[in-house]
Amino acid sequence: MSEPILATDALSVRYGSFVALQDVTLRIAENSVHSIIGPNGAGKTTLFHALTGRIAPSAGRITLGGRDITRTSDHERVRLGLARSFQVTSLFPTLSVRENLRLAAQGRTPWQALAPWRRAEANRPVLAVAEAMLERLELTRVALRAAGELSHGQQRRLEVGMAMAASPKVILLDEPTSGMGIDDIAAMTALIRDLGRDHTVLFIEHNMGIVMNISDTVTVMRAGRVLVEGPPAVVRDDPEVRRAYLGNMITGDISGPKDLVS
Amino acid sequence: MIPLLDRPLVQFGLAVAVVLILPVTMRSGTLASEILIFGLAVAACNLLLGYTGLLSFGQGIFFGLGSYVAGLGLVRVGLPAPIVLLLALGGGALVAAAVGWVSIRRQGVYFVMLTLAFSQMFYFLAYTFSGLTGGDNGLLDIPRPRLGDTVLSGPWAYYAFVAVLFLALFAALQRVALSTFGRTLLAIRDNEARAGAIGYPVRAFKVAAFAISGAVTAFAGALHAMLIGVAPLSNIDYHTSETLLIMTIIGGTANLFASLLGAGAYLLAADALSAIWPRWLLLLGLLLIVITLFLQRGLWGLIERAVALVTRAPPPEDPAPDRPVVSNPDVAPASEATR
Repeated sequence: MSEPILATDALSVRYGSFVALQDVTLRIAENSVHSIIGPNGAGKTTLFHALTGRIAPSAGRITLGGRDITRTSDHERVRLGLARSFQVTSLFPTLSVRENLRLAAQGRTPWQALAPWRRAEANRPVLAVAEAMLERLELTRVALRAAGELSHGQQRRLEVGMAMAASPKVILLDEPTSGMGIDDIAAMTALIRDLGRDHTVLFIEHNMGIVMNISDTVTVMRAGRVLVEGPPAVVRDDPEVRRAYLGNMITGDISGPKDLVS
Repeated sequence: MIPLLDRPLVQFGLAVAVVLILPVTMRSGTLASEILIFGLAVAACNLLLGYTGLLSFGQGIFFGLGSYVAGLGLVRVGLPAPIVLLLALGGGALVAAAVGWVSIRRQGVYFVMLTLAFSQMFYFLAYTFSGLTGGDNGLLDIPRPRLGDTVLSGPWAYYAFVAVLFLALFAALQRVALSTFGRTLLAIRDNEARAGAIGYPVRAFKVAAFAISGAVTAFAGALHAMLIGVAPLSNIDYHTSETLLIMTIIGGTANLFASLLGAGAYLLAADALSAIWPRWLLLLGLLLIVITLFLQRGLWGLIERAVALVTRAPPPEDPAPDRPVVSNPDVAPASEATR
């Protein structure tokens, strides 16, 4: 494996005496789709918070493209190429879909946006990114609608698109299919697979169908630690993981491949 | 694409129309000047409340500060009026940046309480240092500015002076609201957590919003002191902050012309009602209740509806009644999408 784009070394997060993450060491290969699964409380979202800089780790190190970002602020990490989407949809509800994407694209150059005299329309590259994202997300038709008025599936796509619009090196998706219906899930799966061709995607997902179908690597977490890691086929047949499933540890929507729960 | 009434040229045109109509329809040039001066201060308040989602009780600090700068600069030091106005602009920006920098460390109710605390503190500072501020009496005998050799002593002459500056600053605020900066403020208002997550240094944006708002408010305060010839203690009172907030809400948030409307409606109502009933503030309370309950887009929203009726376009919807004025970083407003 070549130099990983995103890596953690013995990353730990403690809240008082509670250990949310313990010695998590990850190597995320460039332009791969890497999923993280595990039961509720396994520390998946805590890991994301630590990676994006929302919480400070108690110990360990995070590197992005070889650069240590353990102490880098969250908005600085966006500038360095790390973007995320949220498990609970988090948009700018009264602003238009196009404006949501424009703001996300402009987030790469946030200090430029601080100029109170610079017109938003003058930043053509950012407008172009927003336009391209509308196409890619198939949201052009609703570009002028307020984001809060979209259907749930459209909002979830926009949610992921906001992360993509920052043109990140690594994109972190927290349960992108959360609460979606069958049709929307298919569209989202296609979108993530498509993303993996020119981005590094790290995502948390409960839907085993998606995880097994589109991941290059799967990391299984339990109780704040990495349990197993490997290609989908290996993880699927791992006795520990199977035991976890039979013990009904992995919660959520286990649709898709039937062979898992056999 | 942009609704007709929101287009910057239409907004500016409406402001020009008001500036031209006031002298024709009103008898008091002083009241007309006051409408424009408060219109400015309310537009500045709107930048924080309507655009950034910050309910600041500190606006009176900056208004009063501007009055004192005018008083000290013109009377004690004898500076020319343009210099004094520039000093008010700069001083307002500095003090507002400092007050903002501390206050935005907390969100929601705690932010509001911090601005309130600052407001009280500055009031008593002004009261205590009476050598500088004149204490209870204020700074007296503030002269009107002069144009060449003529002192703008007549009410309508001074109105013209105020009107030109009003339109210049109104246009500048419009530019700010439409800039990448202003549009990012709207994003912060809508969802502060996400604005941070997509890369914006939210605190820097809020401090800058404070600085701009404070600069314009202090400028208005200086104009006000020149208008009435006094820099009174009441201009830095908490009550001034309250009045500016009420005017902002009456007019309608996140629209600059609405602020002129709010200031005008408040001052005209106050003028008319106080002549017939000394307890007129009671009626104002009723008006505020009605607007808060039924007209969350303020008087401006009413106009939008009327125009929509005439042109048969669908009116813009009222914001959801529970939309927080002060954004909370942990609760994303678009959270219908839970699992």
